Amino acid sequence: MSENPSINTPTKKITINDREYDIDVPENMPLLWFLRDRLELTGTKFGCGKALCGACTVHVDGEATRSCVIPVGALAGRSITTIEGLSDSDEHPLQKAWLEVGVPQCGYCQAGQIMNAASLLKRNTSPSEQEIETAMQGNICRCGTYQRIKKAISVAADELAKEVS
Amino acid sequence: MRPDIEGFLKAERTRQAEALEQTTLQLSLDRRQFLKVSGLAAGGLFVGVSLPNTSIADTKATVFNPNAFIHLQENGDVLIYCGRCEMGQGISTALPSVVADEMEADWSFVRVEQAEGDQDKFGSQATGGSASIRTMYEPMRKAGASAKDMLIAAAAKVWNTSSDNCYAKQHFVYHKGNDNKLSYGELAPIAASMEVPEAPTLKAATDFNYVGKALPRHDVGMVISGKRTYGVDVKVPGMQYAAIVHCPVMGGTLRSLDKTEALKVPGVTAVVEIAPLKVPFGSLGGVAVVADNSWTAQQGVSKLKIEWDRGEHGSYDTDAYMGELIKNVEKPAEKIAERGDVENAFKNAAKTVSATYTEGHLVHAPMEPNASVVAVHDNHCEVWASTQSPDDIQSVLSGFLGMDKKQIKVNVMICGGAFGRKFKCDYVQEAAAISKAVGTPIQLTWTREEDTKTGYYHSNSAQHIKASLDENNNVTGWLHRIAFPSINTLFDPSVQFAPANAVSEIESHPFGVTNLRSESGLAPAHTRIGWYRAVYAIFWGLGFGVFADELAETAGVDTVTMLNRLYDANKNPEQAELVARSKAVLALAAEKSGFGKALPEGEGLGIAVHYSFQTYVAMAVHVRMKGDDFEVVRVDNAVDCGQVLNKDGAAAQQEGAVAMGISLSKYCEVTFKDGAVVNGNFDDYPVMRITDMPEVRTHFIESDAAPTGLGEPGMAPFAPALVNAIYQASGKRYRSLPIQPLRT
Repeated sequence: MSENPSINTPTKKITINDREYDIDVPENMPLLWFLRDRLELTGTKFGCGKALCGACTVHVDGEATRSCVIPVGALAGRSITTIEGLSDSDEHPLQKAWLEVGVPQCGYCQAGQIMNAASLLKRNTSPSEQEIETAMQGNICRCGTYQRIKKAISVAADELAKEVS
Repeated sequence: MRPDIEGFLKAERTRQAEALEQTTLQLSLDRRQFLKVSGLAAGGLFVGVSLPNTSIADTKATVFNPNAFIHLQENGDVLIYCGRCEMGQGISTALPSVVADEMEADWSFVRVEQAEGDQDKFGSQATGGSASIRTMYEPMRKAGASAKDMLIAAAAKVWNTSSDNCYAKQHFVYHKGNDNKLSYGELAPIAASMEVPEAPTLKAATDFNYVGKALPRHDVGMVISGKRTYGVDVKVPGMQYAAIVHCPVMGGTLRSLDKTEALKVPGVTAVVEIAPLKVPFGSLGGVAVVADNSWTAQQGVSKLKIEWDRGEHGSYDTDAYMGELIKNVEKPAEKIAERGDVENAFKNAAKTVSATYTEGHLVHAPMEPNASVVAVHDNHCEVWASTQSPDDIQSVLSGFLGMDKKQIKVNVMICGGAFGRKFKCDYVQEAAAISKAVGTPIQLTWTREEDTKTGYYHSNSAQHIKASLDENNNVTGWLHRIAFPSINTLFDPSVQFAPANAVSEIESHPFGVTNLRSESGLAPAHTRIGWYRAVYAIFWGLGFGVFADELAETAGVDTVTMLNRLYDANKNPEQAELVARSKAVLALAAEKSGFGKALPEGEGLGIAVHYSFQTYVAMAVHVRMKGDDFEVVRVDNAVDCGQVLNKDGAAAQQEGAVAMGISLSKYCEVTFKDGAVVNGNFDDYPVMRITDMPEVRTHFIESDAAPTGLGEPGMAPFAPALVNAIYQASGKRYRSLPIQPLRT
């Protein structure tokens, strides 16, 4: 965007939702703003800018990561998944469960919630209520949809269990 | 939400009254006369409260457009506009579902669109005070029913029969006498030329398809895929991004600005001084940096060297101020209302009880910080904003830009949470100021810190209640003093005491006390005060709800018994319904929560009732102590909001009220030092997280009374029920909220 990469250094690349992009912004720009303002992938939200609220959660090589504090330059060669790339046609078990349970109110935090929950279910396919709470405590919802978030994660986990068996 | 500003928005009110008069005049005309008047008033106001009657069918062949809210296309698709603003409360599903229900539309053919700001066309769009359902239910029913009647008339015309021989069901009109049916799509062009019915036929409640059920939100699919576009997400061609830092003190001014370093940041294109705009909802004043992305703009702001003159409120200190508020309610204050003879009641009392309750400032902290896009052009301006009140944007920008309101187009975006904050459009006016200065569209996104530090804060408050009881433990006298900086101060800074209409809750409360006096204590404002979800009901709920519990203890009865005693003592026939419905939600919450049953050591069940925004809510809160900390195990809440429009959406509002109730009871407090807010982000303004979420069970009173809203009413009874529960569990009475204030 503003700083021209040095002629001698090849432009760094980053993969986002299976597509490769040049990192053509200052390398210390947090991934969040590269996604939102450069690529116009606005599903990932700005909430606090300090990794306190989880609204900006994306996956870096499959791991839930707060995109508002991680510089995009540090992610060269890595693979990022945002809410827009979580599934082909919004059929991830969590997305389906979110629909079934009717989780969102304003919806602003929900992409971050879903991305964090997806990361949880990858490492723990049948989390207990306690494990859900522990995993999800970094994600704030001011509307107070927490009861439904917990339920939807359980619904999705049950669905995943069925798919596996 | 805005019960107390009449005096300050007189001009606006007069204008609206005139508009309403004009509308009423038109409503009394027959259709032929109406068309004539409408023609004359083209571009003027011809849509008011009874919307279906005041609009003209669109005669374009392909679209049936019986009123501003409905567009039926030949392929059967129905576009329903939502005039009120969506901020997560579900109004953009609730109101359109009412239209679709009365229209007998098949919901799967319905697409909901947010109406742009145009209150001549859509009626008031200001969304607050839990008023949307209360005020728009009937007009929406009529809008839908008008369309249905016209579709039936169209079918009758095709079949050369009378409308009485036809009926509509789920997107078709059927002939009663044979198998003939016509789809809504087929009928659309014919219906467009039918008369708009004077008095459309409304359904019986038993015939509702969607009302009273749990229809899913229309927009969940967009949310879960990240495609729902909030104000912060809008991109328009040629747009630049801005960040801002505000003057930290209300009334302060910019003393010096060095923008050299900011302008050196690659990507920064401009630094713009924003002058304070001294109208309600105008900017507090600040300095903005413009860049080719939001982050760079924020970097630019961090490089600004600014000195502020803090002005007359530069010594505001909330700890010291709270000390003053407490002093001002523990001595005689300005009398507001009185009935009977309180002094005499106190003199003859068998016992007296008194207590003082306090709460701090709150900031809304929606997950989406204030954000909008504004493009100022020579003769017009376009806005894309997360907002609760597009009309206020038009008013403020009209004054600021010197344009007519009609030249300001407001695209209403869903708010990523609002809770009252986005009723005030200072952030939009700032974006307009920047756009005007640099000549391109501007997206201004506040940082979380600016959102916290530049709020319209919920009033901090102190209230002192003293009551007398006779030898039978009946409450005979009630003195209630309160001091809080009122919202009136936003419109008139000279206001020093919360005025009568902001304190009328005391004399109108349904507790039946013969001898009562209310007083308002000195409480000037040193910051901007504004509506926050449930507004003053937050502290009324706390005061009345906890004090009832304290009275119960003094009287040696349980809280439900004391509450019923207080309600039963109310012999005012005008409040009979208020009393009966309050008692009914109390009984339901008590029953569902198992109130009165023995609980294990260290657990408690507290209960409170509050009537606000014309809705009745009782909450029973079950807590378990964990050392000095506590856990809310379960909340049973009973709701009487009349006819429930959407059971799932209504329950969601109650769950949200509990969550926000836990936040404000346990953690939230905005602190000021040297005139400025100390808190900044979620680390020093903690809000509730998932680990604190209890099980919330919502129980509705079955009712066919006129529906009322639920955005706010759940807030008031939570905190007192929690305080009462903790008292029962631990013997510790928290009369000052938050319970766990963060002290740095």
